[in-house]
Amino acid sequence: MTESPALAIKDLRVTFGDTVRAVDGVSVEVRPGEIVAVVGESGSGKSVTSMSTLGLLPPTAEVSGVIQVGGVDVTALDGAGLRAIRGAEVAMVFQEPMTALNPAFTVGWQVAEALRLHFADMSKKRAYERAAELLEMVGIQDAKRRLGQFPHELSGGLRQRVMIAMAIACEPKVLIADEATTALDVTVQAEILDLLRDLRAELGMAILVITHNMGVVADIADRVVVMYQGKVVEQATVEDLFARPQAEYTRRLLTSVPRLERGAHRARARTALREPGQAAAGTPALALSDLVVEFRGERGSKVRAVDEVSLTIGAGEVVGLVGESGSGKSTVGRTAIGLIKPASGSVRLLGESLTGAKGRDLRRLRRRCSIVFQDPASSLDPRMTVGDCIAEPLIINKIGDRDDRVAALLKSVRLDPSVRARYPHELSGGQRQRIGIARAIALDPELVIADEPTSALDVSVQATVLDLFLELQDRLGFACLFITHDLAVVGLVADRVAVMNSGRLVEEGPREEVLFDPREDYTRRLVASAPVPDPAAQRERRAQRLSL
Amino acid sequence: MTASVPSPVVAAQPAPVVGPYRRMVRLFFANRLAVTGLVLLALLLLFCFVGPLVHPTDQIHTQLADANLAPGVKGHPLGTDDVGRDVLGRLMVGGQTSLEIGIAAGLLATLIGTVWGAVAGYTGGWLDAIMMRVVDAGIAIPALFLLLVSATIFRPTVTTQILIIGCVSWLVPARLVRAEALSLRSRDFVQAMMAMGGSHRRAVFRHIIPNAIGTVVVNATFQVADAILLVAYVSFLGLGVAPPATDWGAMLSNGISYTYDGYWWLIFPAGIAIILVVSAFNCIGDGLRDSFEVRLQGR
Amino acid sequence: MTRFLAKRIGQALVVVALVTVIVFLLLHTVPGGPARGILGPQATAAAIAAFNHEHGFDRSLPEQYWMYVSGLLHGDLGASYTLNQSVSSLIEQRIPKTLVLTGLSTLVALLVAIPLGVWQGRRRKGLTDYFITTLVFIGYATPVFFLALILVIVFAEKIPILPVQAPQAETLAGLFADSRGLVLPILAGAIASVAVFSRYMRSAVLDNLAEDYVRTARAKGASERRVVWLHIMRNSLTPIVAMLGYQLPVLFSGALVIESVFNYPGMGLLFWNAAQTSDYPILLGAVLVIAVATVIGSLIADILQAFIDPRVRGAIK
Repeated sequence: MTESPALAIKDLRVTFGDTVRAVDGVSVEVRPGEIVAVVGESGSGKSVTSMSTLGLLPPTAEVSGVIQVGGVDVTALDGAGLRAIRGAEVAMVFQEPMTALNPAFTVGWQVAEALRLHFADMSKKRAYERAAELLEMVGIQDAKRRLGQFPHELSGGLRQRVMIAMAIACEPKVLIADEATTALDVTVQAEILDLLRDLRAELGMAILVITHNMGVVADIADRVVVMYQGKVVEQATVEDLFARPQAEYTRRLLTSVPRLERGAHRARARTALREPGQAAAGTPALALSDLVVEFRGERGSKVRAVDEVSLTIGAGEVVGLVGESGSGKSTVGRTAIGLIKPASGSVRLLGESLTGAKGRDLRRLRRRCSIVFQDPASSLDPRMTVGDCIAEPLIINKIGDRDDRVAALLKSVRLDPSVRARYPHELSGGQRQRIGIARAIALDPELVIADEPTSALDVSVQATVLDLFLELQDRLGFACLFITHDLAVVGLVADRVAVMNSGRLVEEGPREEVLFDPREDYTRRLVASAPVPDPAAQRERRAQRLSL
Repeated sequence: MTASVPSPVVAAQPAPVVGPYRRMVRLFFANRLAVTGLVLLALLLLFCFVGPLVHPTDQIHTQLADANLAPGVKGHPLGTDDVGRDVLGRLMVGGQTSLEIGIAAGLLATLIGTVWGAVAGYTGGWLDAIMMRVVDAGIAIPALFLLLVSATIFRPTVTTQILIIGCVSWLVPARLVRAEALSLRSRDFVQAMMAMGGSHRRAVFRHIIPNAIGTVVVNATFQVADAILLVAYVSFLGLGVAPPATDWGAMLSNGISYTYDGYWWLIFPAGIAIILVVSAFNCIGDGLRDSFEVRLQGR
Repeated sequence: MTRFLAKRIGQALVVVALVTVIVFLLLHTVPGGPARGILGPQATAAAIAAFNHEHGFDRSLPEQYWMYVSGLLHGDLGASYTLNQSVSSLIEQRIPKTLVLTGLSTLVALLVAIPLGVWQGRRRKGLTDYFITTLVFIGYATPVFFLALILVIVFAEKIPILPVQAPQAETLAGLFADSRGLVLPILAGAIASVAVFSRYMRSAVLDNLAEDYVRTARAKGASERRVVWLHIMRNSLTPIVAMLGYQLPVLFSGALVIESVFNYPGMGLLFWNAAQTSDYPILLGAVLVIAVATVIGSLIADILQAFIDPRVRGAIK
């Protein structure tokens, strides 16, 4: 390819204030019709890079270097010049389609605005007609009716399609997708990635994909740029990068990514777990039967969040509960530990009924279980020191010797005991999640509910936290309900897997069976949609999925 | 992993441990507006409560011979009023009343409102619904109307004014604290504590109140400012504390008859004093709010 | 929508019922009880006893409350003993004038405060900015009566171009016929509100500036002016309407002070005069009517919000 690049970033440097260098000498080129992925963890500077191409950084940012769009240097443009480029030459799609669309205007108005901002002579009527065509082009059915709807009336996937329709309205030379599929469910993510690929073929755009997800990279990119702490550490074609990573950081990143593969399961040292089915022989750690949870809906009607779910977890067993957003998986977790009252059905914890328990019995039961939440920032009280957070279960259950125990717990989650005097906001996300885990194991529980414990973390941090969690599970032998949306993570940790979809339990069985030989259509679709970090394998899976 | 905001995240490792409260105090003192308010308030307090020792005046007896003297005449820096009392001295004494009632009533309102709101928000359900309808009903009656009615029923003294204003203005903090309690109750750290078998008492006192304290403290300063204004309104309308006690609103009310005589010293000092003290509390409140919000952003 | 309306109106009715309870209890805290409150301070003990028996004030409290409420339902608010007129007819004459005063001054205030607040929200540090911010801050702390006095001193005394006294006409038409007299009262009310409203507007704009959709609009190539005045403005209106609902009691309190300074013949002046003479039937009747007006006002604000904000509309459909 010798064509001149549609987008060329040369030696970009961005600093905030005096000291913080967010981007440090980054050079990236994207040619027409090419998809380049910029991949990196949080703080790598990948989003700052993408924002600077449209001059969207806050005024405190100092930018140097050259950003050429079709040969014109964007950094040298003034306000009016920049606006002429934005949307017309370079368009962007953002992460959160819910908040990225203006809630007060109709979808049609917003797409039409994108057109009329750049085609001053286009009539309102014509703009709306074109908007309808664009919506059809991005695969929205019944486009005419959709024009009059507001963003909150659409699903997340549809909203992201509207964002894309808006972005391609003026047929820009460059499309930047900044974590455009991160907030979406895997099945929707797969559809959006297909759409981007189709649009590239149709319009010949250069596409820059900003992502942290190696599976997405493997699925869509032609070339990959790996960023770490503001610098480019490696650039290669997608095949080369995954097959022969050069930089040390890339290699580390690739080994951290959990893979959905047969045999990619942890080795269990201590507990040679009973054969499936045999677990039910002893007293199960958790037994849910015909569980129904209802919430009051917007119009006073009752919405079933959990619909007749029955599930059993044996002592020492790890059961993975997977599902997309809104499937009711988190509600099951919270009901299992008594935070939500079920409408009907029963919860038995460690052989005793939780649904009927009150007062002291309830407290005694709860003492033997615990819960780890997704967002470590909100599961620790910001007004308490780390030591007080971990000591809280000990205080509540009046257990003495707290200083020593807190120190021991910190050590067991591989943190220095001196962090006990710090406050949660002073620690990193990974450190905070370790503290959440230390608090959960403080009373040596027999059952731990882990609700998306690693979903808010970077991959490399996720890998170490998962490692730690599994090691502790092995050593302490607690049973675990591991709730997650990430099939690869489930594949790594779970003995058995249960799949939920819109409140119902779709399928349940041993790990190998559910993940690699699913019986139900829904599970099959779910498994096929999860991108794997291997371009060749992913191509095959894609073909398979499209034939489903 | 949020990639939306290009935030310059640095893994800052401050050597000394700084708790959230101490951090807030630091941020508060770094806020120029807040410090200005604090200094202003300190000066006003000194003026009202220490001032009479430096500039002693007779505020009980009338000196009709010296009525309506212009500032500077006969050792009266701000002149005299229509019955010959020194205006500067009267400003100090009146300020004592305004500040005493304002601060005490503001604090009383905050206390009642916090407890009411926390109970309603944490309990939820029908109790919450009933408690909040009571608040709605209270808010529907404009405070000044209620105060004037009360002033005709109870003879206005400093104590009754404090009690009445306190009982009239607790409604806004009640609403705020209730909203806060409602959202804190469902936060993960409270849920985690409940899952460990913690009691409701622990949830309210160890988690909800410490985390709502920001809202409460910020609102308390605005509450005091509003209470001082209310006192002034009631007195201006002629139904404030009975003579010989006075306050800034009453002084202004007294001066209004002399607008056309050009006796500006009967109007402006009291008016400006009210503006200064209310501004001081508002500055402190804004400063506090900034320091609390920075804490939230820092997480 | 009907469900939302029914629920919201039901709540409003509960609130009104609670207000009647509060007013009823106030009536009973009047020194000497309702008899002295209604007959006036000069009544003899015998007259009071006769009155109590005749009106059932010797019965139990719940019974009395029921009588009071059924009186209200028939439009009976009692009679003033100083003006020898029924309270309901007095209020009927006065309330339109107060609504005109508060309505016009609020309108003027909004017209100034909304652009001002937006401008402050987008502020760039500079001399004018500091000047206006300080001015708004001082405006926020200034008692309405002091403001009114300054206006009188400036526009009626130093530069005598406007009358101090508000028009004393009986009818609304008469009020507008003498419109010069309306200027100062409306101005006083408006200035007091501008400070409050612009603060709200400023923080609404600041909140919205941080939203993702603003970045999207910029990425589309929209100008800063378009982003602020179209995208952000539209989203900032919802909190402003909500605020108007909350501010109603404050606005009525302000009207009370302004009416007494300018001798404007509205509810506030009626109320103030009644307070001077301890005319309880008027005082309590006015409290009740103003409270009901506030409840209706915040009901309208809620419904209006649903019409402006498609999200609210969606949630209640």
